[in-house]
Amino acid sequence: MALIPPRPAPVPTSGPVYWLRRNLFSGPFNTVLTLVTGAVVAWALYNLATFVFVDASWEQVWRNMKLFGVYRYPTQYLWRPLLVAGVMLGLMGAMSGVAGRRSIIGSAFFALQGFVALVSVVAVLFWPSVRFLWPMALAIGFAGYLVGLRWPRVVRHLPWAWTVWLVGGAVLLLGVDSGGPFGRVPIRDWGGFLLTLILFTGIVPSFPIGVALALGRQSKLPAIKYFCIGFIEVVRGAPLIMWLFIASLLLPLILDVDANSLPAIMRAYVAITLFSAAYMAENVRGGLQAVPRGQSEAARALGLSAWQTTYLIVLPQALRAVIPAIVGQAIGLFKDTSLVFIVGLVDFFKVADIVSVQPESLLVTGGVKLEVFLFIAAIYFFFAYRMSIASRQLERRLGVGER
Amino acid sequence: MTDVATARQPVRADAPAGGTKVIEMIGVNKWYGEFHVLKDIHLSVNKGEVVVVIGPSGSGKSTLIRCINRLEEHQEGKIVVDGVELTDDVRAIDQIRRETGMVFQSFNLFPHLTVLDNITLAPIRVRKWKKSKAEERARYFLEKVGIPEQASKYPGQLSGGQQQRVAIARSLTMEPKVMLFDEPTSALDPEVIGEVLDVMVNLAKEGMTMVVVTHEMGFAREVGDRVVFMDAGQIVEVGTPEHFFTNPHEERTRAFLSKIL
Ligand SMILES: Nc1ncnc2c1ncn2[C@@H]1O[C@H](COP(=O)(O)OP(=O)(O)OP(=O)(O)O)[C@@H](O)[C@H]1O
Ligand SMILES: [Mg+2]
Repeated sequence: MALIPPRPAPVPTSGPVYWLRRNLFSGPFNTVLTLVTGAVVAWALYNLATFVFVDASWEQVWRNMKLFGVYRYPTQYLWRPLLVAGVMLGLMGAMSGVAGRRSIIGSAFFALQGFVALVSVVAVLFWPSVRFLWPMALAIGFAGYLVGLRWPRVVRHLPWAWTVWLVGGAVLLLGVDSGGPFGRVPIRDWGGFLLTLILFTGIVPSFPIGVALALGRQSKLPAIKYFCIGFIEVVRGAPLIMWLFIASLLLPLILDVDANSLPAIMRAYVAITLFSAAYMAENVRGGLQAVPRGQSEAARALGLSAWQTTYLIVLPQALRAVIPAIVGQAIGLFKDTSLVFIVGLVDFFKVADIVSVQPESLLVTGGVKLEVFLFIAAIYFFFAYRMSIASRQLERRLGVGER
Repeated sequence: MTDVATARQPVRADAPAGGTKVIEMIGVNKWYGEFHVLKDIHLSVNKGEVVVVIGPSGSGKSTLIRCINRLEEHQEGKIVVDGVELTDDVRAIDQIRRETGMVFQSFNLFPHLTVLDNITLAPIRVRKWKKSKAEERARYFLEKVGIPEQASKYPGQLSGGQQQRVAIARSLTMEPKVMLFDEPTSALDPEVIGEVLDVMVNLAKEGMTMVVVTHEMGFAREVGDRVVFMDAGQIVEVGTPEHFFTNPHEERTRAFLSKIL
């Protein structure tokens, strides 16, 4: 009787070992490459970790948290930006609670909460000056989340809550002339991360302006068309840093106001917004061109007006096609706001520079430049990376039913 | 025997006397730059008539049919649809587009909207119907084209034949007086052409006024009242479908028919 000869056990075709074998150790060349790269990366990470956890002196970063956050905003009024931030966290929490954990807002919120939690631990352990603030921020965020989860109907109140937050926050930060707890803090004293975030919101008005420019560029009316083309090309033709300069000198001139009555922040804001709008216009134009002509023909044939065709049929498809480009632009702008130091503004980036040359910093052996810049790099990275994840989620979400 | 000189004379494709003219094209000429696409077109269509337009590629069939709802502009002559003349007057154009449905070769459904939203968009925005009424009518026409169960899907999730039937339902929901079809089946796989043609045949039998650019001669024979043969921007020959099957006069018509039949 013939026995069936034993067969070797099947080689696994899934699982981590299989993956490693297949991707990293397939053949001698790949194996060597993997080992060498791995060694270099491990060595670099080890050195970095040694620096971060052993050699670095984080003292100066912690002590100057207020500068990083709001810069020269008076300490006695510090509760005002803190309140604004707290309400913001609570509202974000509520929003993500309503939307659910798996949604884009939800996952962004959890990333932020994870980040805040991490900093909270650091604060509680080492960071006497802000020992209570960070855990509190964490708690407020989660409280908002639970509220949103428990009472999803708060969603109806969110739009006006955000509006109140925006207007009230601006008023609160600015204060009034009368003094007291609500004393005026002129805009020129705002700085740090607060300023970076404010400048970054320039992306919001730049969006409708950019869409309008892109549509105007296709207009049949020569005046509109050439104005839009001219604007886009001129603005894109020079670096942002130059527009920041020009805005700080030119804007008071063309608006015919005294240079001092128009805060530098506002001038920078206008420059950043318009600069971003020009790029936005080109991104959107790419999307408009990607929409087949048959789409607007079908819409017109159904009797929709030119305007209805644009905003109901063409724009939604065009914008969907350029989400990655727009988010890429937002990320770029977020980092480019750091250029405003050139017109004398002290944003998050500039604070790092300032902190690193404080007398106390200079006393530290080897200085604290590296620590300070690693710190702000981590913050920039967190937000930029988070945005890029959100963009990918959004793309996937909107991909539903696309042909 | 074909007289070349008379063949170059424009042929008038007038609707039979006694009917109500829904479409009237009188001496229409159109150029793309130097290129003369439509040459002295005389064509009229009565209410309830089904006119099939055939002709070689590039002969101007699409251009002709697209002039009827002003997707293309003619430079000479007169086009009257449902008693309204097409001029530069935007209100007249809008009015005519409301009353004419058009079905394209490439469907042109809106990919970002569900089937139901595709269909109800224009009734709600243009006819100003209530949403409930628009949806009720949309479902009625989806039922009619045989795909009531697809209402909440996106166009990308449907087959070509289903997409084209949605496109037809989308036009019909606007309750047009005329339906224009520009090669509605030529982008479809052979096995689904039938399902779209069936819908069109039913529509014709219900008395819809239709102008159909197609090479489906079976369709023409079943419901076509007249066939118009175009070549090089001209109407070359007009007749009943039977006439085209049995004894077309023109040499060009014969040559063309021998290729598609
Ligand atoms: N926008 C345009 N600009 C210039 N020429 C055009 C334009 N559109 C169409 N034409 C030309 O006009 C002629 C008629 O085009 P039309 O699309 O009406 O032909 P058709 O009979 O529908 O052909 P087909 O069977 O290929 O669809 C063709 O020679 C085409 O190249
Ligand atoms: Mg054509």
